[in-house]
Amino acid sequence: MTPEDFDRLQTLLATRAGFRLTRDRMHLAEHRLGPVARREGYHNVEAMLATLWNKPIASLGWAVIEALLNGETWFRRDRAVFDVFSRELMPALTAARPGGKVRLWSAGVSTGQEAYSLAIAALENSADVEIVATDLSRQAIEKAHSGLYTSFEIQRGLSARTMLRWFEQVEDHWRARPELRSTVRFERANLLDEPADDRPFDVIFCRNLLSDLEPAHRARVLDQLERRLVDDGCLFLGVDERPDGDSVAFRPVAGRKGLYVKAPSALRRAA
Amino acid sequence: MDPQTCLIVDDSRIIRKVARRIVEGLGFEVDEAADGVEALTYCMGAMPHVVLLDWQMPVMDGLSFLRRLRDLPGGRAPKVLFCSVETRADRIAEALSAGADDYVMKPFDGEILHSKFAEVGAIQSPS
Repeated sequence: MTPEDFDRLQTLLATRAGFRLTRDRMHLAEHRLGPVARREGYHNVEAMLATLWNKPIASLGWAVIEALLNGETWFRRDRAVFDVFSRELMPALTAARPGGKVRLWSAGVSTGQEAYSLAIAALENSADVEIVATDLSRQAIEKAHSGLYTSFEIQRGLSARTMLRWFEQVEDHWRARPELRSTVRFERANLLDEPADDRPFDVIFCRNLLSDLEPAHRARVLDQLERRLVDDGCLFLGVDERPDGDSVAFRPVAGRKGLYVKAPSALRRAA
Repeated sequence: MDPQTCLIVDDSRIIRKVARRIVEGLGFEVDEAADGVEALTYCMGAMPHVVLLDWQMPVMDGLSFLRRLRDLPGGRAPKVLFCSVETRADRIAEALSAGADDYVMKPFDGEILHSKFAEVGAIQSPS
């Protein structure tokens, strides 16, 4: 891969996905694109990129983009967040929505572990929830929807008891049980696009996503999250993330890392 | 405060070496045993905080060790993590009902062990 190829990849990722492909990921990019080139029938990465630059083919472009996104995730990543959700938020929300479903959105769910972790927490609380989980990567969403995980993936973040309770063994993989899978609706969605549906959510999880975005896109995505959240709703960002300095839409909750509520100024604006 | 101790019980010297490096990285002082009898003898001298326990071993296997350990005075205190190539759901359930706190399917890596140690409360962890 030439430096020019990498420049053009950076532009492709930034314009289509808002994703910031930093220069230190050049080797990683080359490594990840090898299998894509083979799968798409090219001799090597250079040949694939040359074709893409000559004649932008949408499907090839997205295959390249998906391979370069950061899909790192695991079950109950940052367990304190899930403890707060399960022990504090879930009971409060269920009480606040008598007879109604609590609506959760996992934005940037990657291969599904976060959504299933939320579904487990909700079902173990006997809470009536509806979980929508979206990601930009079609491949990641397909895997999430299948609910199939390797032994490596299933063990990262889940106890053996939880695994046995909520997953069934399928040869050397583990598949989310039907009651778990029916709690989550997986959809491919780009946060840069206008949402197809504007029904609001009670809690939004958008963790470890904003920090991978081009700074110019962060405010826009945060704005969309704010609009999709009910006035007394909660937003979880990654534990080391915060809304940008000029965002007045969200206020951190003291002592709960990564948890935000709508700021009064945002509420006034909405009113 | 004294450092936390972990006893690694496995008949494979290589697995013990790999696991030792990971567990020491989690801040534990590590000792090793090659079978259930060695491990039991060790525990009768001093209970470790955590036992990482293989299943199939010569002399005394992991399940027999675990049952005897739990009958010893103070033998309920250690967190026991089974760690085995046995991955059938019913066998995992058997190990848990025999008194294991959690179960690691081999092969494992540092991230899995880290997560399992946090799961049983052997380490404080944000993740």
